[in-house]
Amino acid sequence: MASSGWYVVSVILFIQLFLARVRGARSYYPLSSGSYNHAKQPLQTFRPYNIAHRGSNGEIPEETVAAYLRAIEEGADFIETDILSSKDGVLICFHDVILDLTTDVGNYTKFANRKRTYEVQGQNITGYFVVDFTLEELKSLRVKQRYPFRDQQYNWKFSIITFEEFISVGLEAERTVGIYPEIKNPVFINQHVKWANGKRFEDIFVETLKKYGYKGSYMSRDWLKQPLFIQSFAPTSLIYISKLTDSPKILLIDDVTMPTQDTNQSYWEITSDSYLQFIRNYVVGIGPWKDTIVPAVNNYLTTPTDLVARAHAHNLQVHPYTYRNENLFLHFDFHQDPYAEYTYWIHKIGVDGLFTDFMGSLHMVPGMDLSSEGCKECGCFIKDNFWHDLSI
Amino acid sequence: MASIWNISVLLLLVFGAANAESNVNQEAKKPIQTFRPYNVAHRGACGEIPEETAAAYHRAIEIGADFIETDILASKDGQLVCFHDVTLDDTTDVKNRTEFSDRKRTYEVQGVNVTGYFVVDFTLEELKSLKVKQRFSFRDQQYNGKYSIITFEEYITIALYADRTVGIYPEIKNPVHINEHVKWTNGKKFEDIFVETLQKYGYKGTYLSESWLKQPVFIQSFAPTSLIYISNKTDSPKVFLIDDVSIPTQDTNQSYAEITSDGYFSYISQYVVGIGPWKDTIVRPQDNYLTTPTDLVARAHAHNLQVHPYTFRNENSYLHFNFHQDPYQEYDYWINQIGVDGLFTDFTGSLHLYQEHTSPYPKDIKTSDDLLRKIEYIISKYERA
Repeated sequence: MASSGWYVVSVILFIQLFLARVRGARSYYPLSSGSYNHAKQPLQTFRPYNIAHRGSNGEIPEETVAAYLRAIEEGADFIETDILSSKDGVLICFHDVILDLTTDVGNYTKFANRKRTYEVQGQNITGYFVVDFTLEELKSLRVKQRYPFRDQQYNWKFSIITFEEFISVGLEAERTVGIYPEIKNPVFINQHVKWANGKRFEDIFVETLKKYGYKGSYMSRDWLKQPLFIQSFAPTSLIYISKLTDSPKILLIDDVTMPTQDTNQSYWEITSDSYLQFIRNYVVGIGPWKDTIVPAVNNYLTTPTDLVARAHAHNLQVHPYTYRNENLFLHFDFHQDPYAEYTYWIHKIGVDGLFTDFMGSLHMVPGMDLSSEGCKECGCFIKDNFWHDLSI
Repeated sequence: MASIWNISVLLLLVFGAANAESNVNQEAKKPIQTFRPYNVAHRGACGEIPEETAAAYHRAIEIGADFIETDILASKDGQLVCFHDVTLDDTTDVKNRTEFSDRKRTYEVQGVNVTGYFVVDFTLEELKSLKVKQRFSFRDQQYNGKYSIITFEEYITIALYADRTVGIYPEIKNPVHINEHVKWTNGKKFEDIFVETLQKYGYKGTYLSESWLKQPVFIQSFAPTSLIYISNKTDSPKVFLIDDVSIPTQDTNQSYAEITSDGYFSYISQYVVGIGPWKDTIVRPQDNYLTTPTDLVARAHAHNLQVHPYTFRNENSYLHFNFHQDPYQEYDYWINQIGVDGLFTDFTGSLHLYQEHTSPYPKDIKTSDDLLRKIEYIISKYERA
């Protein structure tokens, strides 16, 4: 009996070691907390989601650990990122297909011969492409604040991070913080980067999420423990991964002139009732550019379209992008007051989530902080009557 | 016949005289708040509408200003007008007016040669023929060419006819320059006409007196001698404006360091109830970040002087990085960390929303007014639209 007991134990140990070696093929980031699932303050679900677009990039260079930590500190429900791939197939957090605008890549003589021109979504783009650099090379770069009118003091301090590092930031937070990664430029990535076993970008993307335990449909128990939205502009990518994961997906919608990169469908087609009905089989919501929901003329809002109403009629959430504090991004109806814009979109238009560069401000909109109660009077979540009176 | 005529004349005179003053009943109006820092609409709601116009002032009152602020200059024929710059170039269409093309001049103003179309070279009628525009190109341009310059009296009337108590905050602007170029009869000066206009409309009373609470006013100026001069003509409260650290006073040529010294505060506090400094001199920025605050506010308060800094603006180009491009965080800092008593803002609506959300009623209910204000806050949630 004792010997069979020892046999069982050694088999178990052997299997564990074997699994560890397979897992170790890519670096695994053990969490200091030891477990993902100890009792954390849960995600709020009774008011629109605060989504930290590229982290708190209003303050800190986008998509860096610092930007994400800051966003969590400021009350983000979700931290958002764009996933691309390095030359050696490692998934990283980076928005542009080229490194020129937000890194110091131009300063390295060893990379001087890496400049290329590729066609991306029908346009020729010239620059230093992410897909031409290995992870190690990308990690050697330093990033900077994209906009010159934002704080430049953190330039050259931070590096590009991987998808897994981003996930760790989300999981390590003291309260439940969701992640909102984008399958970015999948057509382009799959053209330039190949993985073993015929796997595609989307496969690796989902595998990474699953490795960290992300699963479960929207509002399921699993989901509430580790909230996640997978976003993409490419409907076929979302449809493709729907067989691989039941995690909720969001179809991003670009400006009215931009067709989808994979199916070449127009804005009008993908926002039609029949398309919404179709895509509802695969996604729980849409993420439109806010100026297509309420178009602006001469920097003034015109009559809102019915996009939100129709989306809601199809049981699709609406998470528009992107809200920014700087007055050059604010239509005159808001009198250069970002709070007026937030209140309009939350209260008048009734969106379900907001991508913002300024989590600090969105979080302070009455009703959008972590501890708000509902407004008993009208049933909406905005606590204070004064905000109802904004004459917009 | 003669007696009927006499009586009619008498009646006309009585009604005529009454109409010249404030016959608007100020009694039954919602009073001005005095429990939190004053929301001073700098040049009206000039973030939205061209500055110092009737529309800008009406808008400011609509969106919650405690005080509407203005700058008083004088026309060639001695009429007091609301206008900020000594020249008309930046905010009017004067340059497009062929009838005025020969009016361009160069004068010395506060030690600097300024070239342009000077307010003091135009009669009131000519000034009224101009149309004003939004000063800043990044603000709403849709009202350009719609509005005119208004007079001091028109400005006062706007405040008095508001349906709640709204204070006025006029500035004796560039008095040295005005008195050089404009002469009044009987040897009167700019400051005399200024005070006479206020008194004509019933503005009187020391700070927080009953008369003052009915018609609140602060008289402001960068020129200390003007404030001292009018101090025995009116007991209305005065505020001493303080320019940047490099600019001396226009009348006494005193430096910033001198007029912010303890000795000077002791002296000037006999004449003024407060100071209005440029906010970047109170907390000096470096690389667009705030540095350690100076002790200016503490010392002013120690001399029982209020502090009303200028000017707060929503646009991110005016916000130091500590505030993360969020104008409400700037208000929060100045009100709660620095502890100012009033704020000159181009965006009175934003300041009002901030204050209504963070301090809608007094925290310590001390007076019946405070209690009424809390009750009003509670009831307002149930008001039907």
